[in-house]
Order: sequence, then C-alpha cells, then structure tokens
Amino acid sequence: MTAVTRVLVRHEAILAILFVVALFVLAAQSDRFLTTANLLNQARLMTEVGLIAIPMTFVIVTGGIDLSVGSILGLCAILVGVFWQNAGLPLPAAIVLSLLAGTLAGFANGVIITRFRVPPLIATLATLALYRGLAEGISQARSVRGYPAWFATLGQGELLGIPSQLWLFALVAIVGIFILRFTTFGRTTYAIGNNEAAAEFSGLAVERTKLLIYTASGFVSALAAIVFVSRVSTTRSDMGTGIELEVITAVVLGGTSIFGGRGMVVGTLIGLCLMQILQNGLSLSGVRGDGTTVVIGAVLIVAVLISNVLSRFSND
Amino acid sequence: MRSRLSHTLGTLGQEILLVVVILALFAVVGSVNARFLSQHNLTSIFVGNAYIAVAAIGMSLVIISGNIDVSIGALIGVLAVISGLLATNGYPIWLAWLAPLVLGALINTLVGCLIAYAKVPSIIATLAMLSILSGGLITFTGGRWISGLPAGYQLAQFRLLDVPSPVWFMIGMTILAALLMRYTAFGRSVYAVGSNAEAARASGISHAATVVKVFAIHGAIGGVAAVLFATQLQVIQSTVPVGLELVIITASVVGGVSILGGVGTVFGSTLAAILFAAIGSSLIFLNVSAYWLRAVQGVLILATVLADMARRRRTG
Amino acid sequence: MKRLMTALLGASLLTTPAAFAQSAWTGGDGQPTTPLACSGESPAPEPGEYNGGTPTNAPDRKGKDIKVVDIPKLVGVGYFASTSSGMAEAAKELGSVAVSTDGPTRANIDEQITFIDNYITSGVDGILYAANDPVAIAPVLKKALDAGINVVGYDADAQADARQWFVNQALPNGVAKAMMDQLAKEIGEEGSFAIVTSTFTTPNQARWISEMQAYTEKCHPKLKFLETVEAQEDNILSFNQAQTLINKYGDELKGILGMTSVATPAAAEAVQQNGLCGKVSVVGLALPNAMKPYINSDCIQSTILWNTVDLGYAAVEVMRQVADGTLKPGDKTVKAGRLGELPIVNQSQVLLGQPKIFTKADINDFDF
Repeated sequence: MTAVTRVLVRHEAILAILFVVALFVLAAQSDRFLTTANLLNQARLMTEVGLIAIPMTFVIVTGGIDLSVGSILGLCAILVGVFWQNAGLPLPAAIVLSLLAGTLAGFANGVIITRFRVPPLIATLATLALYRGLAEGISQARSVRGYPAWFATLGQGELLGIPSQLWLFALVAIVGIFILRFTTFGRTTYAIGNNEAAAEFSGLAVERTKLLIYTASGFVSALAAIVFVSRVSTTRSDMGTGIELEVITAVVLGGTSIFGGRGMVVGTLIGLCLMQILQNGLSLSGVRGDGTTVVIGAVLIVAVLISNVLSRFSND
Repeated sequence: MRSRLSHTLGTLGQEILLVVVILALFAVVGSVNARFLSQHNLTSIFVGNAYIAVAAIGMSLVIISGNIDVSIGALIGVLAVISGLLATNGYPIWLAWLAPLVLGALINTLVGCLIAYAKVPSIIATLAMLSILSGGLITFTGGRWISGLPAGYQLAQFRLLDVPSPVWFMIGMTILAALLMRYTAFGRSVYAVGSNAEAARASGISHAATVVKVFAIHGAIGGVAAVLFATQLQVIQSTVPVGLELVIITASVVGGVSILGGVGTVFGSTLAAILFAAIGSSLIFLNVSAYWLRAVQGVLILATVLADMARRRRTG
Repeated sequence: MKRLMTALLGASLLTTPAAFAQSAWTGGDGQPTTPLACSGESPAPEPGEYNGGTPTNAPDRKGKDIKVVDIPKLVGVGYFASTSSGMAEAAKELGSVAVSTDGPTRANIDEQITFIDNYITSGVDGILYAANDPVAIAPVLKKALDAGINVVGYDADAQADARQWFVNQALPNGVAKAMMDQLAKEIGEEGSFAIVTSTFTTPNQARWISEMQAYTEKCHPKLKFLETVEAQEDNILSFNQAQTLINKYGDELKGILGMTSVATPAAAEAVQQNGLCGKVSVVGLALPNAMKPYINSDCIQSTILWNTVDLGYAAVEVMRQVADGTLKPGDKTVKAGRLGELPIVNQSQVLLGQPKIFTKADINDFDF
C-alpha cells in the first residue's frame, strides 16, 4: 500500500514540478504572462473543461469513460434557451430544468452502462450522437440570445475580485477531492477500477456507485453548460463539440490511469492548469495555435514517459 | 413467432444481426422510395464510405489487441495531404499512392513502440498523436488546399468490371484481414494478447512485438484509407475531418469488436461501416427532417448496440 | 430488431412532407429579410449614423508601425488562406503593418474566443476577425476595445458595438439575388433544386438561405425548393450528400445550390462523376481555383464569389485608416489602396462590392 501511495504521489509531484518549470519558462518568454489578471482570466476560460474533468476523474478511476459530456453540454445549453424563450419560463426555472435534463442524460448513460451492461465507451459514443442530435432537433438550429444582464454575472462577472465561475469550480473541485479521498463512496470507486468483480463479491454497491458517477457527470456537464451560456450570452446546438477530448487529456495528464483504479482529483487539477498555461503562455510568446497543439501532444507523452521511468526505478 | 425470431437471432453472430439490420433497412427505405435500391445509389453508398470501412479494419485489429487509437482521423488527414503534395510536385503517381502506406506504417510503428516498450497507455499515446498530427498539418500546409492534381491520380475513381475501386479495396482488404486473423499465428497472437496478456506471455507470445506489428499494419491500412480519401475528389482539404476517429471506432465496436479486447472479427466492422453509411443516406431518402437527422442516427446506433447486448446475454 | 423497427417508425413520424417544406426553407435563420428588386439596380443603401464601438484610451497610432493579428473562423480552408494572402499583400504595400493569421482548426466559438483573449493579453495594436458567432464573440471584442485595441471585422460580423468597422464582402440580399438569378437562368423558372450547406448554425449561411427564400418568393415564385442537407466543412461528406440528393430525386433535381466554398466544388464533382453535366446545374459560392476544372470542362457554368483576396486586402487597408484616425464616423466612403473608394453602408460597414459571377470567359484570369 505504501509503495502504491509513493508512486501515486510521484506522478502528481512530477506533474507539479513540470508545471512550475513551465510557469518559469513561459514567464521568461513574455512579461505579460505571469500577472494576476492574466492568470485569473485563464482560470475563467478553463472553467467549463475543469468542471467536467472532476466527475470525469471518477468515471476514469472506475475504468470507464464518458464521451457524451460535450453533447450533454450542447443539449443543456439549448434547453436553457428553449425553456426560457420558447416556453416562456422565468430564467431561473429554465436553468433548474436544464440542470435536471443534464442529470437525466447522465442517468440514462448510467442505466445503459449498468443495467444493459453496455461498455461505457460504446454506450457514450451512442449517446454522444443522440444528445447532439436532440440539441439540433430541439433548437431547429436557432440561436437564443438576449439574456438579462444579471445572468452574465456568472460567466463574465467577478466576486471579491475573482471570476465568479471560479467559486463554483472551486466548490465542485473540493467536493470531488473530499468524496474521492475520504468517503466510502470514493473507496468503492477505486475498488471498482482495480477489480470490478472482486468489488462486487465483497459486497460493495458497484452498480449504484457507477450509476451515481455517470449521473453526476451529466449534472456537472449541465452546470458547465450554464456557465458557458452565461459567458458567451448565446446558445447554439454545436456548443461543446470536441470538449470530451480536452477533458480526457486533462484527466490522463493528471495521472489518472485509463485502466482504472488510480488517480486523484488534485492530479486532474494540475493537469488542467498545465494545459491551460501552455496554451496561453505559448501564444503570448508568439507560437501559433497549431504549434501549441503539437507541444501539448508532446508534453502529454513526456509526462507519462517520465513518470513511467521513475516508477520503474522506484520499483527496483 | 416473435420469440422464435429473437431466439434465432440470439444464436447467430453479430455479423448476421448486422446483415439482417442492413437488409431490413434497405427493404424499408426501398419500399418508401424505390430509387434507394437502384444499383447506382447502392454503389455510391459504398464508394463514398469505403475509406471508413477500410480504416475500421485496422482499428478492429488495434481494439482486438486490447488497445485503442483516437489519432486515426488525423493520420488519414496527414497522409492524404502528403500523397497529394507528392502528386502535385511531379513525383510518379505510384509513389504518391504508395508513400502513405509506408509512412502510415512508420508513424504507427513509433506509436506502437511507445505503447509496447515505453508502456504509455494507447489512449494517451494516440491522444498525443492526435494533437501532434493535426497541429503539425496546419503548420506544414499553412491551411492551403491541394488542387491541380495530375490526371490518372484519382485511384478512387477507377473501375474494374464496372465496380468502383474503393469497393474492391473494401472487400479485398476485409477478406485479407479476416484470413490473416483466422489462419495465421500472428492472428492468434493478437487475440491472445488482447484477451489475456499474462497468459499470452506465458505461452511464449511476445506481447510487445505483437502490439507493434498491429499498429504498423493499422498504419499501413490507414494509408490505404488516406489514398482512397485523397483520390475521390479533385481537391484535398488540409484539415482533419472532424470526428472521423469516432466514426471509425464506432464502426469497429458496433461491428462486434469488444472494447475489452480479445473478441471480434473484421467482417463485423465492415458491415457496421456499411450500415452507418446506409443510415446516413436512407434518412435523406425517408425525408426525415434534417434537423432531427442526427438524433435518429444516434437512436439507431444505440438500438444496434442494445440489440447486440440482448443477444449476447441470451446466448450467455 | 423490434427496437429498430420502433426507431424507424419514430423516424417516419419526424418526416417533413414536401408540402410543408415549401413553408420555410430548412437552414434559414428566421430573421427579417429585405429582398432586392427583381430587376434593375437597387439604390445603394444609405450609410446612416455610425453604430460601431470606440476603443478606450487608444494610443496615437497615426503613421506608426502597427502589429495586427487576424483571427478567422478557422484555419485550414482555402477560403481563409486566400483572405490572409490578401492581408499580406496590403501589409507589404503599406509597409507599416505587420499582420499574422492564427486561429482554431475547427469553426468553434469557444476556441476562437480564447485565441482573441490571448492576443489581447499579448498586446497587439489591431484585431481582425471573422466571427463564428456574432453574439458569443462580442464580450471578448469589447474587452479588446476597452484595452485600446482597434477592432475590425470581415467576412462574418459581430454585434456592431463590439467592433469599430466591418468589411462586408457583399450584402446578404445581394448574395441571395445573385445566387437565385443565376439558378433560374440555368435551370429555368420552374426547376427544382436542393441546397448543400455547412451546418444550420453557421450565421452567414443561415442568413443567405433566408434571404434567398424571400427573394425567390418575390421574383422566381415557381422555382421549387426540395430540401437542405448539412455537410459540415467537409469535402467528402459534401460529395456524399450531393450524391445522395442526385440519387434520391433523379430527373426531378435540376440544380444544387452550394452555400460554402467546400460544398460547391464537391457538388460539382458529384455531378461530373455521375455524367450529369448540363443536366444538373451547380450554382454556389466557391473559390475560382477550386471550380476551374469543372468550368473549363463545361460541366458547370459559373461560380459566384466576391474576391476573397480583395476582402483580406480591404480589411488591412481599413485597419490602417482606423488606426490612423482617418476613417471616422460619418464618412461616406473610404479609400482602400488599389481597390479605390469603397462605400460605407449600414452605419458602420465598408462594402467591398457586389458578388461576382465567374464564368469560363474570365475565371482563368483569377488565381485565388
């Protein structure tokens, strides 16, 4: 157990070192990078991906995957607009209903995966198409605009000098850290990822845990949709396309094993920040977008390689 | 009556199920609009999507070996551009057709080595490749399209016995791969590595060498797909088709390749690719409202997956 | 199997009978339309009062070297490759502007916003953009104005107060008139046609489709709209979709309208590969270079587009004059280098001109 913990700490530690190195290198490249205003602004831009990455860490720790998060985001974004403008509901009610719909979409994923025993990758590939299709069908490809000014506070405003959505993100992250680290639920999550059959035999609530995790993934995707709509003040059915790959990159960069059983929310957070500062810092030092994409791919491999090499040494 | 039908279906393989579904789809759509069944329309359904079916063959090998590749769409984009550049810069046409195969094999051998020897999980290695290839492509081409392709380059427009060449490629490569998987030691080792890596190692199969070979073959097949992709029109776009990797993976897994590895055939993936192509075309023939098209596609994918699960459970 | 049948039944419930399809063309944006007169020149619209934004505390850039970044909807398509070559041309001519193009590889509103945000932080003098969404991009453009950066749009606009000027390639009702007049000329007043567009959410295409419907009802009432299909910004998908339309409608289909520079050549290719040259017309927006093979072989008669190189050129010219302060609210025209005087319309837009119809007679004179 201690050996396992050591390795665990190691990957997150390596990542943290990498993060600090990147921070210094990028700061040396551009004097506009390491400023409070820029960093807070970057944090604002990464909130949607970050929010979804928290439940995704749980999903991947169980050995599963959720590819439908981007489509749930799109669907919920559309629903806010449709409930508010077409159905004439007050905006808060529209938001609550949209959150419910996202939760339901996640629950449906969970049911398909646990009750019908469809592998998560296939199940969520199918719902990725389905939910995006629903978003397109329901909206008839129309945008909904003209939200009241108060709604923009969430995505564009500040609270105590910090972008408002960051408070929400911090809350979700802390809840995530707490549950995965300190509760029975968290221990069951790891147990499922290590050996699902064994977890079932030892009487753990495997099905219920997985169902809850996928439901939470849907709920948080809906939350991200609300933040996103508030930030850009419009809804479109193509919102969140491809976000699933960004989220998964952040999670696996953060040291969560794609085979399940290993990973921490803190690692995900570091992975996320590393990705964001690379994108921002490289852009500020004059690297174009396509170059940045290449660098992020390379960093992903290097991070895993370093941690592989070091863990081999520590085993010897 | 119904129970006997479902029982019969239950005892047959995924391939039979797919054939039945495809035939049923053809019958239904054909009865609504007889033009759907014209030889001309059937040919164009196959031709336009053959490159997806071809790429899905390689993907099936990768998934059977217990891995995954999310970079295949980007690889096809890059190889297509390279092929086009060779052709427009005066190199012999056979070289423009052959180079993608060799380069695809080389690039994926590298990826295979990362996975097999450096122990980078396949999803991470290929996520990174996705970034590197798609970013690198833009850097390299500057976003320009390739036009002015020489006469005789359009391999995908050739016909043999009045059947377009992509169809021959699709059928030929499916049969070749099926023979390879069924009757050679290599094929058996791929299944062995995917179903139980430990046992495979114990029985003297080199896990690493098998994975590298699988990826190399997958890369070469991706090269064929890229040539079919590049030679269909008289212009080659220099962006990676969005979401192509998901379509290819979906074809493989719906075709009965278990995402957990060790199970599946290449026939299934080809049939599934044909099914998806037919669905896309048939929905237009059925006058499904364009806004709802993607939702219906999602439902159909989900239905196929659930039917497969039900079948598997009945056969136990 | 039963589920599949249920799904198919469900699918047929979603069917849009052709009778309803006539009521609204799929893919339009449902906004009010202003169709032009059926024949004769329409009077140029009045410029009206300036409604663009103003940068806060912009430094005096008159005559100084400026650093400009161009952020198109996406990179990797021929269309924006040619606008950026026009920008480079103007920058070279002026000598005092450094312009570079950078943008997302997918037409994605979120990524575009992030790009702009990063360039604001890095401190450029001017931002040129082609918006993926007019509303979504507005907050970040306003932020640029607040930072004292000059903001000029081209190709696809944002909300007017989020930028200073917008270089409009052609007014939507002008595009609609050019497309539908050309279609009616090629397939006759009673032909049937279908549309291939990128996605239903792309604002420019949705705007044009709505204007095309309005203009058709007014001036070519007997043309018969069949359906619109989506083909993303994807060559092969566009080709497949055009192919499906040809197979579905057979002889009934007389024309295909391509709404993007990706869809139009792919539709032309489908017509050519089916041996339907002269039987099915393709009318649409496309770069001349991409259409040369089809027009030179007499398979397709025309392609419609503004000069995209000129569009990029004009955008940089306008940016230079905005930075100099020589283009001011209330001006009626603006001088744009080799393009001469361009008129100002719609309060804060610079109009490049009318869409041009390229035919075999002149298409080989252009290289973009």
